[in-house]
Amino acid sequence: MEEPPQTTPPDQHRLREIELDVRTQDVEINMGPQHPATHGVLRVLLRADGEILVGAESHLGYLHRCAEKIGENVDYIQYMPYTDRYDYLSSMNNNLSYSLAVEKLLGVEVPKRGQYLRTILAELNRIASHLVAVGTYGIDIGAFTPFFYALREREFLLDLFEKICGARLTYSYIRPGGVMNDAPAGWLNKVAEFCDIFDQKWPEYWNLLVQNKIFIERTANVGVMPAQTAIDWGCTGPMLRGSGVDWDLRRDQPYLVYDQLDFKVIVGEGYRGTLGDCFDRNFVRMYEMLESIKMVRQCLAAIEEGEVSHPDVSLTIRPAPGEAYVGIENPRGELGHYVVSDGTKIAKRMRCRAPSFVNLSVVEHTLPGCMLADAAAIIGATDIVIGETDR
Amino acid sequence: MGLLTEKFDDNVLTTRVDWLLNWARLSSIWPMTFGLACCAIEMMAVGASRFDIDRFGAGAFRATPRQADLMIVAGTVNFKMGERVKRLYDQMPSPKYVIAMGACATGGGPYYKFGYTVMKGVDRIIPVDVYIAGCPPRPEALLEGLMLLQEKIRRQKVLRAPQLEEKPKAPSLV
Amino acid sequence: MEAPKRDTAWGPMEVHFQAAREAHAALQEAGLEVELHQPNLPIFAEEGEAKRLAKKKADEPHEWRGDAFLLLKDRERLLEALSLIREQLAFQQIVDVTAVDFDAEDSVLWGVYQVLSLTKKARLTLKVHLPKDDCRVASAVSVYPGADWHERESGEMYGITYEGHPDPRNILLPDDWVGYPLRKDYEFPEEYHGISCV
Repeated sequence: MEEPPQTTPPDQHRLREIELDVRTQDVEINMGPQHPATHGVLRVLLRADGEILVGAESHLGYLHRCAEKIGENVDYIQYMPYTDRYDYLSSMNNNLSYSLAVEKLLGVEVPKRGQYLRTILAELNRIASHLVAVGTYGIDIGAFTPFFYALREREFLLDLFEKICGARLTYSYIRPGGVMNDAPAGWLNKVAEFCDIFDQKWPEYWNLLVQNKIFIERTANVGVMPAQTAIDWGCTGPMLRGSGVDWDLRRDQPYLVYDQLDFKVIVGEGYRGTLGDCFDRNFVRMYEMLESIKMVRQCLAAIEEGEVSHPDVSLTIRPAPGEAYVGIENPRGELGHYVVSDGTKIAKRMRCRAPSFVNLSVVEHTLPGCMLADAAAIIGATDIVIGETDR
Repeated sequence: MGLLTEKFDDNVLTTRVDWLLNWARLSSIWPMTFGLACCAIEMMAVGASRFDIDRFGAGAFRATPRQADLMIVAGTVNFKMGERVKRLYDQMPSPKYVIAMGACATGGGPYYKFGYTVMKGVDRIIPVDVYIAGCPPRPEALLEGLMLLQEKIRRQKVLRAPQLEEKPKAPSLV
Repeated sequence: MEAPKRDTAWGPMEVHFQAAREAHAALQEAGLEVELHQPNLPIFAEEGEAKRLAKKKADEPHEWRGDAFLLLKDRERLLEALSLIREQLAFQQIVDVTAVDFDAEDSVLWGVYQVLSLTKKARLTLKVHLPKDDCRVASAVSVYPGADWHERESGEMYGITYEGHPDPRNILLPDDWVGYPLRKDYEFPEEYHGISCV
């Protein structure tokens, strides 16, 4: 491994002397809600002392769509499409988390083929989501081209999703009791084909974007978050793993068929700077894509013919009374659905524990002390989806 | 253009001033970078290589309303955001156009009934030129919406006085 | 530590039941009054049970399935219980703070705290009952900083006052919003700032 380049540690920025006879004043800068680098309608109020941030305050709610209230008013199947629209970059994972929570209340387990199909789709969706995350992160810090490369492969994935369920973005494919339908003929071969293509394309992103000197300068040692902070604030997913905490729900709370798959949990290692900086978060995302490909290949090898849905679950769902929380590893972290049922057709509580919401809450504590231009880099590395933070 | 290059002597093109101005306007609609929700992801896909909105001259996404001609309202507008959408619209220089992309921007979409903070259609605060159905609309639908908007611009009167007995235009629905 | 066994397609169950029992014992030992609720039905339904449930009458009595949880009797001692759970029982991370309004007729809301142990690899749910006419509870931010935004959210949605919260403003709703949307007796607004809501 080559020697990591030298970058200025952030502490030096803070150590700045202001001459006593000069009157200075903090400047308030409003970033968003319409801003290309906030990934949607987030508004961050930044307070800057010259070029250095001294405070930050996030304002949310510009996309509050009342999904939890809707969950208490429509029945279990009607609620499916709303789960798609939480985290619209990884709808399959949202469907999955919700379906598992309802199945826990029903006490039914999906047949093996259904579980494998779910795993394949969840992992493919993770790749699609990470591609957007890394691609748009490039735009945030000034590299426009990798975005087009990333969306090229994403279109291939969306074609696969379209083939299996008819939708490009909001799938409602994984449902309580199983999946919508079996994979069409030849679909699994197409997935295998994608895995081969992606293996060739991955080094392109790595060389073009992540190994780029400008990218490293902009991300290494920027927005460092120590492991303890990440745990205290409840961060999950690449935010937590980027800080060096070895925690992945797929391995540590095994659901579906993840206990039979052989994969590595990618943890940040301070490859180019300090452990827990923006570079590490993207490093985790980049390598997770390769792990996902590995998992998909194993699923393709292990999948067998059979039923995909449980025969007992129909369109009318009336689970036993009780409550269930199921958290799964979404591309952004732990996505949980907490469903409280009283035995009727309509849930009493439909809570979505959104990873972006929690991951974003730590950002306003990371920003002070950074340079103003790094704000975009730090918010971008958090990889938030506003549909999910605001619900 | 390769066929036509350097094939002619000095030339005169006769056209109407209105046609020329409209042609210039419709061929370089600059949209504002303004994603709200799920539809914004499809809007991104339209900007990327497969669908390539640049073919229609509308690929220059501007980050500021001051440089934009077109606002694509891509996603759900709620009351908190509505104020901002209105303000952004007011900041755009005329002539300005609005595309309501998707069911939410058109009329509240799936959030119509129980969405207490959701505005039931962005046309309650700003005028809309083209509505695009779908949740979210496919990229092709957005491109068709853009072409409809271009059609609308082509029929605009810039210099000629509006004629009173002119028939009302049919609403543009995709 | 080894990952817990995958009991079901939705993840391990036994490790969470075990954690709930342990936490119950530890909290009682510390002098806190806690009830342990464990599901009566088995984890898996019998064949055809889901079908039968879908057709049954609404007033038919039914058993209870799902997660185990702890119910803390005295809400004044919530912080004590949470710090014990964090320090002694090693549940390092707060996953979720939320509330449930089970029924409009009920006199209480449930405050729900989901915590996670990265070392034990287990989850735990702690609940407190908050009377609707006196909806206040101590803020968990001093124990778990991550509870910050969750509390702001359930504060505005249910009208719960989290005492000692550093920044108890609205987070998702506009500042001048009237009413608590996630309460069961919430009335949908007619208009907001002159824009009709229907």
